[in-house]
Amino acid sequence: MWLYEKKLQYPVRVSGPNPWLAKNIITQYGGPDGELSASLRYLTQRYTMPIPEAKGALTDIGTEELAHMEIVAALVYNLIKDATLEQLKAHGMDGYYADHDRALYFVDATGNPWTATYIQSKGDPIADLHENMAAEEKARATYEWLINLSDDPLVTDALRFLRMREIVHFQRFGETLRLVQEWMDRKKFF
Amino acid sequence: MQRDRRELLLKIMALDFTALELNLYLDTHPRDARALEDYNRVTQELFALRQEYQERYGPLIHFGHGYSKYPWQWIEEPWPWEMTF
Amino acid sequence: MAENRKMRLARAYVPFQQYTRRFAPFDGLMRGTIFPELYLPYRPKEMMGRGEE
Repeated sequence: MWLYEKKLQYPVRVSGPNPWLAKNIITQYGGPDGELSASLRYLTQRYTMPIPEAKGALTDIGTEELAHMEIVAALVYNLIKDATLEQLKAHGMDGYYADHDRALYFVDATGNPWTATYIQSKGDPIADLHENMAAEEKARATYEWLINLSDDPLVTDALRFLRMREIVHFQRFGETLRLVQEWMDRKKFF
Repeated sequence: MQRDRRELLLKIMALDFTALELNLYLDTHPRDARALEDYNRVTQELFALRQEYQERYGPLIHFGHGYSKYPWQWIEEPWPWEMTF
Repeated sequence: MAENRKMRLARAYVPFQQYTRRFAPFDGLMRGTIFPELYLPYRPKEMMGRGEE
């Protein structure tokens, strides 16, 4: 099961209403390389991982991604909660408002809804771990494009934290891949 | 949020993050005795800090992981996305 | 633990991290990792000359 801890993993602040930034950052909530995709990918792949280290790494990284989803949600929520209708219209969030008001929904930066086709669960641990390493790099790149776009230094600060986590996760998946490779090599001898 | 509460919460967040990082490291290095020793030390410290926070401000974790005073403190605001640091 | 030397074709390898030291808890949180050897911050200015920013 899972437990909820009533705190964010990283302290989040925003300078003020900024629907334009929210519209772009929301892709890390419900976009292809976003935190929902990451979390669900790892948490569903873990069942068919062959070694305890891999089951642990996927469970724990998948759980951390849920905390990242919450950080992105807190950013988007605080960037749009006090935005006026005029601000929403001026920054291209009128379509989002028509469907969701200022609620959180899983979409990418251009409004496409989240889909399970963003992720794969192949049953082959080598293939799955390669997908996860690629996913971390795609998320890292997305955070870099978002940092380039951001005009709010407080938001940029949280984006930098999230980007750094992608690098650490890549390292852990890389080590997990090596352990699975060794396990497969050992299996061949017996 | 009051300054004391925010400071204590930030201390917990920082230590929690150290525990998480050591946890992920140990997942792929289960025989690293020094990392394990650090993890256990941080966990102990974290337990004491959480206890202190929960006694003062109510439960941090639900479902039987922290006591509540009357009335039920778990639902007290602010929720994490409502906190401004 | 795996040796980094024995490498085969058609395989990807990431070197194993060795735990040396760590940043103090709050410093680590602010940086996004407690491990100095993994701390690789983004420097957008490096993109200059590559047609970006």
